[in-house]
Amino acid sequence: MPKSIHIDPVATRSSTELESRRIPVHSYARPMAEELRVRGADTLIMALRHMMVIRAFESGVASLKSTGSYRDLTYAYKGPAHLSIGQEAAAVGAAMALTPEDHIFGSHRSHGEFLAKGLSAIERLGDNTLTAIMEAHGDGALLRAVETHLPDESARGLAENFLLMGLLAEMFTREIGFNGGLGGSMHAFFTPFGAYPNNAIVGASAGIATGAALWMKTEGRDSIAVSMVGDGATGCGPVWEALNFAGMAQFERLWDNPGFLPVLYFFTNNFYAMGGQTSGETMSWDRLARIGAGLREDACHAETVDGTNPLAVADAVQRKRQLLLDGKGPAILDVECYRYSGHSTTDVNAYRTKDEIAEWTAVDPITTYRDSLVAEGILDAATADGIQSEVGAGMHAVYMAAANPEISPPAGLGSDGASIGRKVFAGSETPPIGRAPEPLSEPAKVARIRQNARKSRGGKDANGELLSPLKAITLRDGLFEAILHAALTDPRVIIYGEECREWGGAFGVYRGLSDLFPHDRVFNAPISEAAIVATAIGAAIEGGRPLVELMYADFIGRAGDELFNQLAKWQAMSNGLLKVPVVVRCSVGSKYGAQHSQDWSGLAAHVPGLKIIYPATPRDAKGLMASALASDDPVIVFESQRLYDQVELFHGEVPEGNFKISIGAPDIKRVGSDVTVLTIGPALYPALDAADSLARRGITLEIIDARSLVPFDYGPVLDSVTKTGRLLLVSEACERGSFAMTLASNVTRFAFDALKAPPRVLGGPNWIVPGADLEHGYFPQPFDIEDVILTDLMGDTGHVRKGSRAWDDLALARSGL
Amino acid sequence: MARIELRMPELGNEITEAQIDALLKGTGDKVSEGEEIVTITTPKVTMDLEAPATGTVLEVLVEEDEIVAVGTVLAVIET
Repeated sequence: MPKSIHIDPVATRSSTELESRRIPVHSYARPMAEELRVRGADTLIMALRHMMVIRAFESGVASLKSTGSYRDLTYAYKGPAHLSIGQEAAAVGAAMALTPEDHIFGSHRSHGEFLAKGLSAIERLGDNTLTAIMEAHGDGALLRAVETHLPDESARGLAENFLLMGLLAEMFTREIGFNGGLGGSMHAFFTPFGAYPNNAIVGASAGIATGAALWMKTEGRDSIAVSMVGDGATGCGPVWEALNFAGMAQFERLWDNPGFLPVLYFFTNNFYAMGGQTSGETMSWDRLARIGAGLREDACHAETVDGTNPLAVADAVQRKRQLLLDGKGPAILDVECYRYSGHSTTDVNAYRTKDEIAEWTAVDPITTYRDSLVAEGILDAATADGIQSEVGAGMHAVYMAAANPEISPPAGLGSDGASIGRKVFAGSETPPIGRAPEPLSEPAKVARIRQNARKSRGGKDANGELLSPLKAITLRDGLFEAILHAALTDPRVIIYGEECREWGGAFGVYRGLSDLFPHDRVFNAPISEAAIVATAIGAAIEGGRPLVELMYADFIGRAGDELFNQLAKWQAMSNGLLKVPVVVRCSVGSKYGAQHSQDWSGLAAHVPGLKIIYPATPRDAKGLMASALASDDPVIVFESQRLYDQVELFHGEVPEGNFKISIGAPDIKRVGSDVTVLTIGPALYPALDAADSLARRGITLEIIDARSLVPFDYGPVLDSVTKTGRLLLVSEACERGSFAMTLASNVTRFAFDALKAPPRVLGGPNWIVPGADLEHGYFPQPFDIEDVILTDLMGDTGHVRKGSRAWDDLALARSGL
Repeated sequence: MARIELRMPELGNEITEAQIDALLKGTGDKVSEGEEIVTITTPKVTMDLEAPATGTVLEVLVEEDEIVAVGTVLAVIET
């Protein structure tokens, strides 16, 4: 909502027609003689060989899956086999046009794309670089295995064996696999060759590649990102979000470095999304490339390309790449090819005819291309057969070595069974290098910063009276100060989300940042939660440190895959090779009813791989946010809208300078001796009110603010329960499956002997959050806390309940409530 | 000739007060209707308040940094 862009009603309301650029279909017509002149015979023959390598690799997997053997190897391969037999020309053609610095992000069917990119990079990188890359990976274990058992005199030959062995060992869950066996067939990658994570979720690479392109643009790199997804991905909402994000008008109109994101959406269109026929059955489009016209006047430079001809694909990718480097992207390629193999090994081709398969087999990309080279005299048939034999023999050796446990040891679970667990979090902080960003103006001149400077750092005046949020640092200010520090000192930090810039975020946390930072540091995102999180992941993988906002925690569902399958997983799935330092802020609302008032911190905590914080005081908000922004791990920050104006009541003053509070450390907010009350987020405050009330009856509560959900140090809670013998957990999440339930269960187990009564969880009931006037019947109130403490924990049979919770928990549970 | 008051507006039922961030016009200044006179800040937003009429600022009744309640007269304009 920049005031610089005027929406003129006269112009807007005048009659016109929309046009978009025409979309070429199979326009490639360059004669082979011309290709020979431009590319040279070696390159043309190399493309054939690379296709043969991919076919041999995939055929080996197909053989293992269908017969349990491959040549003289008997091996039970248990993993997935989404093979790309028939699609080799698409993968090899794309790779021919890309440099090692261009990064591809693939799909579940990406063995071919991965190998093609690796082989292309090996051709382009010098021997010394290749050797250094191989030595640096995994302490050289994979290289040693290859040198010993798959030797080759040339660095390139060795690197090819390294590439094949690293992928196959990865698929076989071996230690020397590229990702220690933790990624497997659908997730393998090797970044030094520009082969970035492949993804088992259809379409997920689109958003991540877009984020990679965002960071490439931010850094001004001379490279592009390529999202390699299938035709089925055009049915996925997050793919459309990514396409829109990459071409946001602001990149051209508002950014100091104009130009759209350098990302190519390379749709390997094999006409079937598993068994659903995309053109003709499950999609609206007749030709996939048409989707470009739905987005932009330039139709995203879309083209339909013959994916059975590597040179047609290389030509198209080359042209799109140049457009992207010129800032004219994003671009779409519809690369038509045919998958001879089934979707997976359980595919019986129920959805296509034998005739169709036979007709496409007649234009097999490898034989067709080979024949065209022979016809042009670039290659003779005997030489072609020789290449085929050499490739086959090499592949056999790779399979034998990868399957041999003495050469390629199986990955283990560790002596305690937790070695995979130790890969989930990096647990580290990588300080920024390079120059601190230069703000647009002197920070001290920004109104927000001036106002904060005048405020009291503590929440009460000299007489102990509560200060107005205009006079004291609030939780909103605490967050702002930590974020401002990071934005001023760390060039990796970029901030975006809906309404983040001029509005300052829907709840004013960022107010003032747009005075200090240009659009490439702080910008408004579309209402595309999936793209917001996915692009953050891509940018983080490339070296950025995005802080993104989802506005309401209820919108987590809109970014479910991105948060739970992508952000949470890549650190571990990469065997620790990737770090994904993304901080996601989401506010927990109230007063707006069922879709704007949910505390889903427990939902996020359920999925391994995310650190979760939920601060309730200005000091904690500042210290925890600083830790989140410094962390190499992904962190989800929950913020209660009810607490944005909260001033500091506990630890004196909110420190002025940057400081960190360890994620995972709960904090004792009030000392007591009769009952331990462990609160999550804003439940701290009703617990304090209940404590004041109960104190008048001689009952003292020890109140512990969880502050973090993941990780969580149980120590202070167990110490407290050992003292009090009673535990109440209070949160605003509905009780069933909540994180408070997890805490209660664990405390019961770890402190069972000290307990005088079973721990009790008090949360929201298992139904919708009602509107503002009925919220008192949903969110735990001080009187609810008193009721539970007196009746359930203290055994006061004479207590007359003050709250509305008179329901029978067992009866409700039986009816699903 | 009429005296028109500029008051601290209602900004939603939870906002009861705001802080004067900057006085953009002073006593005696000529202003046009819609011209910004005062910048105020609430915990969530910073916003400019506009002159309700064209005329001369007769008096400004608040100071910078002052915290004022909703409804407070901030300035008076003589048309």
